[in-house]
Amino acid sequence: MGFTLPRSRFLILGGKAMKGYRKYFGKKILWFVITFIVALLLNFILPRLMPGDPVAAVTAKQAQGLSEASAVKAIYDNYAREFGTNKPMTEQFVTYMTNLFHGDMGTSFSQYPRKVSDIIGNAIGWTISLQLPAILIGWLLGNLLGALAAYIRKGFDKVLMPLTLFFSSIPAFGMAVILLVVFAINLKVAPISGGYGFDMIPNLSWNFVLSVIQHYQLPFWSIVIISIGGQAVGMRSMSIYELNADYVKYARFLGIKDRKIVGYVFRNAMLPQVTGLALSLGTMVGGALVAEIIFSYPGLGTTMYQGITMADYPLISGTTLIITVMVLIATFVLDIVYGFIDPRVKAAQFD
Amino acid sequence: MKTRKLLSLLLAITMLCSLSAAASAQTVELPRNETLYFAGLQWGSVNGWNPLSDDMNNALGITQSSGGSRIPMFETLYMYNMLDGSLTPLIADGDYVWNDAHTEITVKIKAAAKWSDGTAITANDVAYTFDTNVKLGNAKGNSYKPYIASVTAVDDSTVLIKATLTEAGTAVNPLQMIAYLEECYVLQKAWIQTLETRCNNDAAAMKKDPADDVVWSGPYTKQYADDQKVVFVRNDNYWGQDASMWGKLPVPKYLVHTIYADNPAGETALKAGEVDVCQQFIANIQDLWLKDGLPISTYLDKAPYGICVNMPTAWFNMDIPALQNVALRKAIAMAVDYDAINQNAMTGQSPTFADVPRSCMNPTAGEQATFDHDAVKSLQWVGNDIEGAKALLDEAGIKDTDNDGWRELDGTKLSLNACCPNGWTDWMAAMEIVAAAGEKIGVEITTEFPEWSVYQTVVTAAKQTDYDIFMMWTDSAAPTQPWGRIRQLMSSEFNGVEGNWSGNWGHYSNARADEIIQAIPTTTDEAELKKLYTEAVEIYLTDVPSFSLMYRPNMFHAVNESVWTNFPDSTDGRNIPPSICVDGYGIAALYDLELVNP
Repeated sequence: MGFTLPRSRFLILGGKAMKGYRKYFGKKILWFVITFIVALLLNFILPRLMPGDPVAAVTAKQAQGLSEASAVKAIYDNYAREFGTNKPMTEQFVTYMTNLFHGDMGTSFSQYPRKVSDIIGNAIGWTISLQLPAILIGWLLGNLLGALAAYIRKGFDKVLMPLTLFFSSIPAFGMAVILLVVFAINLKVAPISGGYGFDMIPNLSWNFVLSVIQHYQLPFWSIVIISIGGQAVGMRSMSIYELNADYVKYARFLGIKDRKIVGYVFRNAMLPQVTGLALSLGTMVGGALVAEIIFSYPGLGTTMYQGITMADYPLISGTTLIITVMVLIATFVLDIVYGFIDPRVKAAQFD
Repeated sequence: MKTRKLLSLLLAITMLCSLSAAASAQTVELPRNETLYFAGLQWGSVNGWNPLSDDMNNALGITQSSGGSRIPMFETLYMYNMLDGSLTPLIADGDYVWNDAHTEITVKIKAAAKWSDGTAITANDVAYTFDTNVKLGNAKGNSYKPYIASVTAVDDSTVLIKATLTEAGTAVNPLQMIAYLEECYVLQKAWIQTLETRCNNDAAAMKKDPADDVVWSGPYTKQYADDQKVVFVRNDNYWGQDASMWGKLPVPKYLVHTIYADNPAGETALKAGEVDVCQQFIANIQDLWLKDGLPISTYLDKAPYGICVNMPTAWFNMDIPALQNVALRKAIAMAVDYDAINQNAMTGQSPTFADVPRSCMNPTAGEQATFDHDAVKSLQWVGNDIEGAKALLDEAGIKDTDNDGWRELDGTKLSLNACCPNGWTDWMAAMEIVAAAGEKIGVEITTEFPEWSVYQTVVTAAKQTDYDIFMMWTDSAAPTQPWGRIRQLMSSEFNGVEGNWSGNWGHYSNARADEIIQAIPTTTDEAELKKLYTEAVEIYLTDVPSFSLMYRPNMFHAVNESVWTNFPDSTDGRNIPPSICVDGYGIAALYDLELVNP
């Protein structure tokens, strides 16, 4: 016996449910589109509201050592024309939108003349390789630990709870620097920086792959340890709440084995955690910024940071657009998945 | 069971993601004892190999500077040495020769000089490069067009450089012509023509072209570049191994620059021995060998550890009435504790103003010899002279009349801000010390640290509005110095120019100073030159439109001798400047390197 809706009943109400689902998804898609349009607008406007002139920033680099005022002015004018910053904002927006729909995110100011899509394309591989496993493993291990702590309680919980709280409160830059100093500098068991060995050129040899994995460890663990802490705390709270629920007590009195009950308890406790996972995956593109800078890992975080300090509008807009789109897709997919796994959403369709 | 399957799936994803980070292609592990590693030059990844473009961000390969261009891949006619200001021939054969009227320079080309494709370097290449730079309007073209009317090939091995003339028939600026000889790369005419055909003679397209097919003449060329590093490999057919030049090949087979995210990352790598030559400011660098026992050294083994060639300067905003008062400017400048700045900002890596009294000149022997020290002695203040400053202010009538602890000028309380870009820690420390000096003499100075992108827009505007006292750098060593720096400090030609990167950001104006700046480049009589330079220093130290805060090197130069040794130092008599082994005559260092463990 369980608490899901009996399949027969579901089939009978099948027709009504599908119509309800259509309305549910229809609304979701509409909101998705509206949010996306507003996001695009903000994405374009906000970086350009920053004080400071990006053309002057790029001119500064070229003008080092130049003493001819006219030479510098010529350089400045040239870039202003190339970047289009001397045109009115609405015209720039229209150009940006038209290019965007052709897949062209523009040319970077600070890394002129590289294209933004080229820069992001190179960097995003490293970031996703770092973030995706780190988030998944952190989530899995964290939830496992949290669930165990809630179920076993006693000594295990008393030690684990403060420990996980401790680790989840360490800021990312603190964790990264601690790992770097302890393992790379003092104990010399891990490399100090980079995505692969400083004396290597990328190739498909076993040595190179090993080097990549070696360089992967510290940034990876600096993210995972903190993430485990955060997940464990959350899962533990949800599990304790579920374990004390009426249906659990009732099932126990009925003599149902603990192992069977636990399966349902954790399924319910998981729901908020799945939301958390989806959102983490959505923001993962920008989330490793600190780890990347400290370990000189060539990912999107470093790119975004450089873009912001140099007031590089196309690059900032490009990276934030990707983050926005990923978050939107993640939440949208989550809404759809919820529609299927959360019984309460199913029930609501029958009204 | 399910969990186990899930876990193994996750492990597989992890491994796949790690592998996905690997790229394809070559199979090289760079042998440590054939590779020289650099740090502090290349920030961000390389965009291309086109020396006609200013946007390649290729620090080791394409950097043209009057203080010594970077010549591993592309070469110049001469190599500049900041230690004595001399020019050593590279592609050129022998010294350059002026005509009697001092309006034309003749340069010969070495017979042995060849391009990477085996063809000879000729005067036509030199002429065509100059014309292309001017036509494209790139930085070098715009820099030298005002001073050089034409560069022509008299025959295959003779170049004639003609100056732009004034109405009187003299060269506008002979010093800039000498700078051209050692700053601008010589490029192959045939390759430039290939580029022109490829880009349909469109200037913008030519400057954006990454030029993977470029022809070079130097000892090194590109092997590999990505977001993590750039690798140069030695060309064993390099023409410079001929007896008429170096007589051998440079020792390292590879020159590599790993791309670090920031200064601390580069410094950590230097300490770990992953970097051999480091161009970065490292605070208290002497601790690395005195306390940590690392095999790291600098050009000088005692303070100031390096050769300082420029002066970060605090400028007064002369567009506001309060700072048009000379007594106020001088008093603030006298009161600053420069020894504290030296300790905090430079950690002793700069000569003090007691060692090298202030002027417009940098501490090198060449520049110090240009003016009469005795004539200006009385004007050179050492600093931290609180009593003297207070006396000066009292005498000028700038007193604290309402007893609030702060002096007033013309009835209003003096309240100034001292600014520099946020995050430039050594500059920020200097501004704090200036503010502290103000407090001691009763002038309210508060510090402000805007972001660099905002700061530069404000400082280079046609009128100074927001900042009262602000910092900017001054020119480093070059054939045009110290004239160039005097112009940068005092010339009124930049006043009112929008987007002014050239100098005199405080908008000072002095007719006599302008006359001197006009006269110096064409003056050849030594005695007359000395008089002009001395007078310029007198004007600068009397009017105090700005004041030097410290001396500073242009390139820092620290080496880790765990793999390579025999780097240049001040006692070895080789006269090789500490310019990170690749700038100007500093490249001679690469030919003398030895392995610690051969």
